[in-house]
Amino acid sequence: MNFIPEVSPFISIAELQKCYEHKKFSPTEFLEFTLDRFRKFDTTLGSALEIFTAEFIHSKSETHGPLYGAPGLIKDNICQEGRIASCASKILANYQAPYDATAVNRLKKAGALLVGRANCDEFAMGSSTETSAFQKTVNPWDSTKVPGGSSGGSIAAVAAGLVPWALGTETGGSVRQPAALCGIVGLKPTYGLISRYGVVAYASSMDQIGVATRTVYDNALVVSIIAGNDSSDATTLSVGSQDYTAGLDGKIPLGLRVGVIKNALYAPGVDLQLVTAIQTSLKQLEKMGAVIQEVDMPIMDYSAAIYFILSRAEAASNLARFDGVRYGIRAKNAQNLAQMYTETRSQGFGAEVKARIMIGNFVLSVGHADEFYHNARKAQKVMCQNFKDAFQKFDLLVAPTAPSTAFAFNAFEHDKLQLDLQDYFTCAANIAGIPAISVPCGFADNGLPLGMQFMGSHLSESLLFKVAHAYEQKNVWHTMHPPAYQ
Amino acid sequence: MIIFMKIITKDELIKIAQLSGLHLDEQEIPGLIKHITDVLAYASRVQEAVCLGRDESRNDFVVNVVRPDIVKCTDSAIIMAQVPQKAQNFIVVPHILEGQ
Repeated sequence: MNFIPEVSPFISIAELQKCYEHKKFSPTEFLEFTLDRFRKFDTTLGSALEIFTAEFIHSKSETHGPLYGAPGLIKDNICQEGRIASCASKILANYQAPYDATAVNRLKKAGALLVGRANCDEFAMGSSTETSAFQKTVNPWDSTKVPGGSSGGSIAAVAAGLVPWALGTETGGSVRQPAALCGIVGLKPTYGLISRYGVVAYASSMDQIGVATRTVYDNALVVSIIAGNDSSDATTLSVGSQDYTAGLDGKIPLGLRVGVIKNALYAPGVDLQLVTAIQTSLKQLEKMGAVIQEVDMPIMDYSAAIYFILSRAEAASNLARFDGVRYGIRAKNAQNLAQMYTETRSQGFGAEVKARIMIGNFVLSVGHADEFYHNARKAQKVMCQNFKDAFQKFDLLVAPTAPSTAFAFNAFEHDKLQLDLQDYFTCAANIAGIPAISVPCGFADNGLPLGMQFMGSHLSESLLFKVAHAYEQKNVWHTMHPPAYQ
Repeated sequence: MIIFMKIITKDELIKIAQLSGLHLDEQEIPGLIKHITDVLAYASRVQEAVCLGRDESRNDFVVNVVRPDIVKCTDSAIIMAQVPQKAQNFIVVPHILEGQ
């Protein structure tokens, strides 16, 4: 292994930049160190579907910028020009992205080093990264446990100290939930803050790129680069670029009104150690100047039901384009066009994707659309209004990110609904389009990380980062790393 | 509110699969019936959620965005390179109608 003296693999982007400034080592040396670590650890971890060569990585990035020399991994449903973008699916196993996603383009221009493609659940559908058609990703804290999902590869690589940042995508919690299960920071931005140009669509009314890092500061740094209006994505908001690191001074606004969602924190099935960890964190926030109050939000209890319907309905439409005609694999020996469509899709999609497409078509079909899809759309609006009302009374809301610590592989093999319900606390933010950030808040007795999330009103990312950063600085969770990857 | 559990039958499942452009192996069917029935039974509670508040959110953040419809030159070679079967610059597909 190519060791660089006095460098922790868990170095932050901010620290990395200082090392480059002081010429302790160069980005080329650090990249070599990074690639060595992938070679050493990723055979077990399984975070990456592909790691590019140093020559290719350097050739694609600027040699200056705010993320100069910071290696990162990109979820495999985000396009990187000239590279495979398989969505961890057999149907796109040979698909080569013809252009860069806007976020990828902005990262390259900022000098970031994009080292490869991260494993994920097939088409981002899952909560454990077990539905990837290609490989298993393990939790860096315990290889018998899942990393969460769907952005499990991105999050595991960051948690294991292989890269300081990674991009994932969020439709129902796919960055925050694995971030909580692996003990790192995961942001789901406001709907429309980050361009989705070049992101393979799953459920377009909720999909967003999310950012995974080990520290809140690094997260704010990456978001500062990729956020902002994009003429190639009509759903981006009219907001310019902003430095989200500017307000990170370790303090929270005095009198910050924090609402604790009671029916989420005390929901049946939530690990009691997690409840205690969140209660301890709330006391800390109170000491720091926040005003804490419990609040009931009954609509939260319905978020998974709303999410199941909307996400599957939109997936059924979005995934109709994969038919073997223009790209991806094509079934051989089909006698006619209809058979080719069916054979290609049946051979190319995995079981979870097929189930979600069928549920989507069912809830949209005549006779069932009123009961399911139309009601879900109405309930989505009720949820938006409920959050809007809540943010009149509170600056931020707090809830668990996931119900417990990471679970074992195949834990829900015979009860897939329970696996789907891993999104129970996260998907509300996606349905309402509001931003949310998951931060580590302790460890359970089994040695696995615990996470809690802050949710804010539309475009409140600056406040979320400020509070999350201040909370992080009062704790040590972000300095604790999986022993097997030191 | 009483919510009835919707149980998907094998025939319904096969019909949805056809609508979805999928065919199912016999051994996949029992597991899928359970999974889809469970999800739909759970999802049917949205009927209760509708009664939990008013909808006054006029989707403040959702605005209609239009842009000029400008034809841009694209290098079709990059796109055509992805096509599973082609002849010259055309995409080849199997017969659309049987017997041709």
